[in-house]
Amino acid sequence: MNSTLSTAWAARFFQTYAVLIMIAILIVALSFLSDSFLTFRNLQNILNQNAPLAIMASAMTLVIIGGGFDLSVGSIFAVAGVSAAWIALNVDPFVGLAIAPFIGLALGMMNGIVITSLNIHSFLATIATSMVFKGVAILITDGRLIPVRLAEFTWLGRDKVGGIFIAVIVMVLFALALTFVLTRTAFGRKVYSVGGNEEAAILSGVRTNRVKIATFAIAGMAAGLAAAISVSRISMGQPGAGIGMELQAIAAVILGGTSIYGGSGAVWRSVAGVLLLALINNGFNILNADPFYRDLTTGLIILAAVGISASGQRR
Amino acid sequence: MKNISKIAAIVTSVALGGLYAGASSAEDFNIAFFAASSQNGFNQAIYAGIEEKAKELGVKTEMYDGQFNASHQYSQIEDVLASGKFDGFVLMANDTVGIAGAVEQIGAAGKPVVSTLFPIGPNLKTLDRQVDGLTATVASPPADGAREQAKEVVEFCKDKDPCNVVIMIGQLIFPFDNLRYETFREVLDAESNIKVVATGEGSYSPDVSLTAMTDILQANSDVHAVLSNADQHLVGVEIALDAAGYNVPDLFLSGGGAANIAINAIREGRWDATLAYFPKSMGSIALDMVVKKLKGEEIAESINMDEVGPMPFIINKAVLDANPDFVGEWEQ
Repeated sequence: MNSTLSTAWAARFFQTYAVLIMIAILIVALSFLSDSFLTFRNLQNILNQNAPLAIMASAMTLVIIGGGFDLSVGSIFAVAGVSAAWIALNVDPFVGLAIAPFIGLALGMMNGIVITSLNIHSFLATIATSMVFKGVAILITDGRLIPVRLAEFTWLGRDKVGGIFIAVIVMVLFALALTFVLTRTAFGRKVYSVGGNEEAAILSGVRTNRVKIATFAIAGMAAGLAAAISVSRISMGQPGAGIGMELQAIAAVILGGTSIYGGSGAVWRSVAGVLLLALINNGFNILNADPFYRDLTTGLIILAAVGISASGQRR
Repeated sequence: MKNISKIAAIVTSVALGGLYAGASSAEDFNIAFFAASSQNGFNQAIYAGIEEKAKELGVKTEMYDGQFNASHQYSQIEDVLASGKFDGFVLMANDTVGIAGAVEQIGAAGKPVVSTLFPIGPNLKTLDRQVDGLTATVASPPADGAREQAKEVVEFCKDKDPCNVVIMIGQLIFPFDNLRYETFREVLDAESNIKVVATGEGSYSPDVSLTAMTDILQANSDVHAVLSNADQHLVGVEIALDAAGYNVPDLFLSGGGAANIAINAIREGRWDATLAYFPKSMGSIALDMVVKKLKGEEIAESINMDEVGPMPFIINKAVLDANPDFVGEWEQ
């Protein structure tokens, strides 16, 4: 009896914390393989490099828990990034960085309104809007890069406060804020209810369209914030930036264990998903490993994490 | 059946001949440019050169967006060819091997097509024609430029032992990047004092290069030179080096593209060299060749841009000092 209980407990534990287990295994393995890995500087670099993606994945968690998909955040990232660079050059560097999240918010809200007013699946709607947004980014720049070699523009992406990168602090605060919103507010409970059973949520008096619009607006704002960090770091607006980031963000959310069907999940899981992917890349670079094996290794590790999670579900 | 084929061939030839005869004036020529991607600075610069030359010659041009997608570009060429709207073509291929079938179709239709940047066919080391139907190639052989870049690193490293070098390449899955990388290694590995301490893939993105270089610097604390095939990579590399406490001008940084950002960085002493590409000149020459071919004039089978470009193909501070008015032909 005790043995059965402990097996069930172990299965549930593995299912719940699969992504953390894989992260722990990778950290141990990389620590043995390279002296350079387990250093404060390297670990902070990993967080700093992946802060934009972690911010986007954190917000994508809300969209997916709410039963949606947002394939336009990569393009929103591009629009917000080039807008920030253009405004920094032509108006003021601080204004450029500050306005990027608001541009993302507006575009995300537009997504939500299109999805709810036309009553089409978010997957299709955001494919279409991503093309529109990508086109806007290209029109703003005429397809060219916008270099911003201004010291006042790089603080967000490169500077530190108390030895910690500002981008990392922003990422942690953003993830904590979203965790609070999701777990401690009425809005958060509504997001779970809309994704879990939309019909039941409507019957319970939840204005589901408003909730959906809000999740997409948050995802857009996160893409804008991520773009501000990224464009500040490389001092350059790029219309092609952000391509593929939407898929990386969704992959991180699902890899972390948030249900692809909506109704369950957590922000910390998505951040952990981002870290898992980041560790693989960092390991390859530090070990100077053959890049031909990168995709193979990444795929196998993702399969392992998903497999561990699924093994618990089978029981 | 054979007779029907012969008759069809004769009818086609006569029809094509008629078309050519009808379009003998340059003003009547319509030329299409198949860009690898229309939303890319390098491709736009090629098209700018095409447009400039077209204006001079009085021909009409149009650009098609290959979307960095080889199969999309292949279908696009077939569709545009079927439309019969154009007399000749300039091509920047996404897949230099796979596009051969589409180039053969253009040739079979009796229309000229000139490839830019890369040769079409399996051998990237030669500009000689490898595919039936290809009229000419206007390009820089990737290995030659890579070899000269690596030799400059050897020169910089001659008094350093060890001289630690990082290579930041585009993507090794691309045949032309693989060839450049092999050439880099061939030259550098022959020197006993040079140690290639790490290789990163920059994917032609400052972001990706920044991440890769930051990671590489965790494991390698004493880097002397960074050799890359793309200026975009050095943008990220420079930021990573700066953040790691290096005085960037002390290092040897060599990129590729001769984009304006690289020209400025070399003038300011932050970077040391860039392998020059002249996309605007390339586009201009390619269009000129297509029009000459349409007019029935003789043209060369290939033009080596390393030999006919407006500047030496390795651009460094000395070259720029001697040419103070030079600006890059593209913005990156």
